[in-house]
Amino acid sequence: MGMNVTELNVNPCKCCTPLGAVTALYGIKKCMSILHGSQGCSTYIRRHMATHYNEPIDIASSSMTEQGTVFGGEQNLIKGLENLIQQYHPEVIGVATTCLAETIGEDISGIIDHFYQSHEMCRNVKIIPISSPSYAGTQFEGFFRALYGIVTHVEMDTAPNGKINIITGPITPADTRWLKILLDAMKIQYILLPDVSENLDGGHGIQYDRLPQGGTSVDDIAHMGGARYTIELGTFVGEEWSPAVYLQQQFGIPYSRLDVPCGLQAVDSLLNKLRELGGTIPTSIQKERERFLDAMIDSHKYSALGRAAIFGEPDFVKGVVNLCCENGIIPTAVITGSVCKGFEEQLRPLAEKAAGVQFVENIQIKSDMDFAGLEECMVKTHANIMIGNSDGRRVSRKLTVPLIRFGFPIHDIVGGQRLRMLGYEGSLVLLDRIVNTLLLQRNKSFRQDMYDAYYLPLVQNEPAVESAAAGKGMKVAVSYAEKDIKKRTQEHPCFTCGSGKQKYARMHLPVAPKCNIQCNYCLRNYDCPNESRPGVTTEILTPEECLNKFKQVKKMMPNLTVVGIAGPGDALANFEEVSKAVMLIRQEDPTITFCLSTNGLMLPVYAQRLIDLGVTHVTLTINAVDPKIGAQIYDHVTYMGVTYTGESAAGILLGNQLSGLTYLAEHHIVCKVNIVMLKGINEHHIETVVKKVKELGAQITNIMQLIPVKGSAFEQLPLVSNFEIMEMRKTCGVYLEQMMHCRQCRADAIGTLDNDVSILYRKEVLAAQQKASEAGEVQKHKNTCLKKRLAVATKNGMWIDQHFGQAKEFYIYESDGTEIRFVERRNVNKYCYGKENCGEKTDRMTRIIDTIHDCDAVLSLRIGNAPLTELQSKGIMAIATYDDIEHAVKKAAAGL
Amino acid sequence: METKREKILDTYSGLTFKNRKDHVVELETDHTPQEITANKRSVPGLMINRGCCYAGCKGVVLGPIQDAVTLEHGPIGCGYYTWMTRRNKARGINGKSLIQYSFSTDLQETDIVFGGVKKLKQAVKEAVEIFHPKAVFICATCPVGLIGDDINSVAKWAKEEFGVQCISFSCEGYKGVSQSAGHHIANNGLMKDVIGTGTNKPTTPFSINLLGEYNIGGDAFETERILTKIGYQVVSKFTGDGVYDEIASAHLANLNLVQCHRSINYIAEMMKVKYGIDWLKVNFIGIKETIRTLREMAAYFDDEGLKKRTEEVITEELTQIQGDWDYYKKKLSGKKAGIFVGGSRSHHYMDLLADFGVETVVTGYEFAHRDDYEGREVIPDIKLDADTKNIEQLSPEKDESMYRRYIDDDTYNELKGKIELDYYKGMMKDMKKGSLIIDDYNEAETEDALSLYKPDIFYSGIKDNFMILKSGTPAKQMHSYDYDGPYTCFKGAINFAHDTFDEVNAPAWKLLTPPWNTEPTLEGSLGNSAIERGEQHA
Repeated sequence: MGMNVTELNVNPCKCCTPLGAVTALYGIKKCMSILHGSQGCSTYIRRHMATHYNEPIDIASSSMTEQGTVFGGEQNLIKGLENLIQQYHPEVIGVATTCLAETIGEDISGIIDHFYQSHEMCRNVKIIPISSPSYAGTQFEGFFRALYGIVTHVEMDTAPNGKINIITGPITPADTRWLKILLDAMKIQYILLPDVSENLDGGHGIQYDRLPQGGTSVDDIAHMGGARYTIELGTFVGEEWSPAVYLQQQFGIPYSRLDVPCGLQAVDSLLNKLRELGGTIPTSIQKERERFLDAMIDSHKYSALGRAAIFGEPDFVKGVVNLCCENGIIPTAVITGSVCKGFEEQLRPLAEKAAGVQFVENIQIKSDMDFAGLEECMVKTHANIMIGNSDGRRVSRKLTVPLIRFGFPIHDIVGGQRLRMLGYEGSLVLLDRIVNTLLLQRNKSFRQDMYDAYYLPLVQNEPAVESAAAGKGMKVAVSYAEKDIKKRTQEHPCFTCGSGKQKYARMHLPVAPKCNIQCNYCLRNYDCPNESRPGVTTEILTPEECLNKFKQVKKMMPNLTVVGIAGPGDALANFEEVSKAVMLIRQEDPTITFCLSTNGLMLPVYAQRLIDLGVTHVTLTINAVDPKIGAQIYDHVTYMGVTYTGESAAGILLGNQLSGLTYLAEHHIVCKVNIVMLKGINEHHIETVVKKVKELGAQITNIMQLIPVKGSAFEQLPLVSNFEIMEMRKTCGVYLEQMMHCRQCRADAIGTLDNDVSILYRKEVLAAQQKASEAGEVQKHKNTCLKKRLAVATKNGMWIDQHFGQAKEFYIYESDGTEIRFVERRNVNKYCYGKENCGEKTDRMTRIIDTIHDCDAVLSLRIGNAPLTELQSKGIMAIATYDDIEHAVKKAAAGL
Repeated sequence: METKREKILDTYSGLTFKNRKDHVVELETDHTPQEITANKRSVPGLMINRGCCYAGCKGVVLGPIQDAVTLEHGPIGCGYYTWMTRRNKARGINGKSLIQYSFSTDLQETDIVFGGVKKLKQAVKEAVEIFHPKAVFICATCPVGLIGDDINSVAKWAKEEFGVQCISFSCEGYKGVSQSAGHHIANNGLMKDVIGTGTNKPTTPFSINLLGEYNIGGDAFETERILTKIGYQVVSKFTGDGVYDEIASAHLANLNLVQCHRSINYIAEMMKVKYGIDWLKVNFIGIKETIRTLREMAAYFDDEGLKKRTEEVITEELTQIQGDWDYYKKKLSGKKAGIFVGGSRSHHYMDLLADFGVETVVTGYEFAHRDDYEGREVIPDIKLDADTKNIEQLSPEKDESMYRRYIDDDTYNELKGKIELDYYKGMMKDMKKGSLIIDDYNEAETEDALSLYKPDIFYSGIKDNFMILKSGTPAKQMHSYDYDGPYTCFKGAINFAHDTFDEVNAPAWKLLTPPWNTEPTLEGSLGNSAIERGEQHA
């Protein structure tokens, strides 16, 4: 079952119990099976088994009808047995139940007794009841239920015969043949149950016999009770259905349950056990071991590339996990459709040990899963190879991960019945298939990957080559290797809590004015150069202007590593402009990291194009993962030309956000998810959002305070305190890395996070600077502002009554000497809580100064010498005074 | 002397003989139907090929609707086995098709004890939220009916709760005697709740619905190509490449074309009563049959331009295939075939084989009714038994607001005798004296038929496929076309002939005997005939 759902099975990774029962019965000599139930059950099972084995599969049905469900199906079953015996002359008949028979509570043993009573001449036919309703498991359990039915219903001859019982789960006919050859070669006297080697992989012979002639005879089975030992190849079936356990309890025969012999150590264990029991290991087998070991060594360099998704019946899965682990292939996504006790407990230590060597984390091991769940596990763990049955082909195609077919069913290619995985040779065959698939994959993309990662950066520094390539119409798609993206992340101020945010600068290009959704907290028609919050910009640039601005900024800011597009609308609602701007800038400077923020609505359309453009970092704002909550946050969504409101709007947006996020994460794009904390709306839901986006591959979330904007629908929404936001981040930090230092920047912000200098680079400022520099005199930018900006240290909000160094907040005013306007309160601690949170050593004073970096002057009660010098060096005048704010600010502004 | 039919029945004793004897018919005169027993309970224990009611409903009629979630309510098996098992192709709506998914409530033991309604509700909710289907069809399996889960009220609840069409189908496997019951139940549901609710009005008067076309290997795509080329507008397709909204608007078309008479005739009949739309028994499998069908359609619409265009397209298509047709006719002519497919489809392939001079000597159906064999004129004589009566029989009434006739009564009566309008003649009329027809055939009968009639190739399903191959006869699967197709119309016929030719002439058939054996590997003359075939080709 996928992680999104609780009750819906989407694309089952299992078939039903009776199918397994019938498969096991195909390992019995001269045995026919009849399903007691509707005729669809036998038809469906025949159809699926015939496609897999490419052999005639004959399963009779008691053809129950509605009448039978009311009055019981005894007459149907008896008639069925009569006809089956008359038509096929079997020596054994397995009567397997279905959901129908079990639900109406048919007494199969009773019916069989009645049958014998009324059909004396049929007493020589052994009729075995098997309880196998589909709701009680999968084909795996059904297989063992049949074996259990057989050993419990055949009268045992307990006279010691010195033989060894070998019991197998569902293994292929070809592997069964190998097992028999092995046992013969080791000179073991054995009884194999079941033996599907001939009946499910027959030849084209002289005459076709409708009654299966191969398999273990009832006579042989009768001697199992007198055997000296039992080896059961499989460890997952419950003891209540284990023939080995039954034989031990009933006849005191000691037993071992071993892993299916796939992989060197598992085969060793079996051989060693057989040797202990008196078998000899011939040279030919030792040679096989040597060859397998040699092959393991030959291919070990390539096996380590493998991140395998393994799915199917539990014992099969364990066999493959064993093989993978001892070859350095990491089983990252391991599932079975069975509700299987001990599955995770047995497999996790193996897989994690192998994963640990290569520092791979987050291994997924789950039972009771469907293919939707497998797909999720594979995406999470970047699996690059699948090993399992044909039903995995849809996931394989979707994720473009190659599938090595093994298990049941194989119905899209031929030869499922001949596949080998057991013994040294079988393991070798499977290992070769895995390794060769990995190698071919590697070969297919190696040149391109290497070229992109190592050669491309080289040529991109040569503009001539680049433009020549562009001139020839070469694809300008870029893809970065994962390693490269990691480095870029470290240099991205918004994606790291480390030194990056101080050291590296970024610029936002306001190239995307349009938006396709309306959030209730957003208002984009506000334009003030001194207001800092998302959605605000003073100007909109064309792609060409973006390039110019970039050149200007880069000249003055060599630590500029990141160019971002953060609106003011939605980047993807303006995709043409955005892509052009990115392409132009990338041509100018290929080292730049591109990031972009979006609401995600258009991601399903543009995700791949973003990747092609070379965007490596994407910020998605996802405020809710429940359309009911989303509906309260979004007023409307305009999608594909239609405007949606309410839950359908939120639903569409959400669907696209999540699939977009998944896609980007799958393609190694670093995704940050922004969540605006809205009191009374989503504050209890944020944890769920964080968990969900983590599951889909987000690397960091940024929980932000709401900035109540006048005129927006959420104008009146209560504020979230710093304490509350930090608590929320702490809570969510358990699941995913949290961004602690977001500055909720403008759409045209420039500089390091702590120092927005965008005002310097506004069009008119740049023009003025140009003029000034032409006149040979560089003027300081602040002087070009018409109004002065002043910071005030105050405790009560009326008087300047706070020491500069102790100020926890500043009131920011603007004034030209006659007018005065309150701008905002700035909290010194708003963005950083010190070392333990940020891991950086910014001292308090620097932070205070940073808070008011854009002011012309600061007014406080007192100020120390050190900060005074510091402020002066930054061109900020410090005024010590004790006065009422309005008066002091006007006076100071007039004097500046 | 014992007839071949008697030889086949000889193996049965007592009651079983009594039951089976009327299901096996050997034609005594050319092209003359004889009474056959059909649509009766199967005999338990015989290796029959029938499916169940659920298979007919979920697997055949509802499954191919590509934008609906068809949710199996029950244990996992039934959901798994109907996971895209037929090869009905779907074009995909916005690149998405739900056909490639299997949805199940995967009931466990506790659900059987305590009921599965809660689980079903949650599953519907999840399906709606994740997949945004146009509709949800809940299909019941055996235990659901027995434990009494009220799926109808869940459907009603879901419809109100999510505003998405949700219909429940009580198609428990034990109902009826074969998948045929399931077809009927699905037909009823679509008729009651879907057809008539849509508003996609066709833009030409030559608008048709294509009923009973499974789109195996793209069959419907090729048919649609021909129809569109002539100037028809296909309003909807049932049972292959289906789209919910199109089916909802089916009542706005002017003529229903019935390809598979068995699975969908109920809807055609009910639409005639309710909306006044006539139906025409068509067959796009086979070159001559396609030509007949196209001409009858043109005759129905009676438009000079359309008639002219029909002839043009026929000529155009024929020109393209004529060379191949002649070639394969030469290669295949004189061969004998056996066909066991479905409940109406054997007849189609019989026509197609006749185009290449191949005679069908053995044929039959899994789940047909008497009218599929003998023609619709026998319907009044068919006595409904309890198994059939248990399936709801809808009696729709004329819908005054939407009822309309495309042709007037005089024209209708005049056409009725000339074309297969509201009528199906059945399969037997196309068969020769001595041919064998088996209803609800089983493995033993098939084996006997193979040895008595010695067909050169056998067309059947997967279940008997390998048994036929083991007996030395080339066999082709007609439910999946062995991953080939399309086989419809002109080009499709050539694909079919090509595949048939390949199968009959596979090199392996020449290698059956090892050099150290002077006897053939197969007993009797079967092996010899296979070798002869090979030598003929060589």
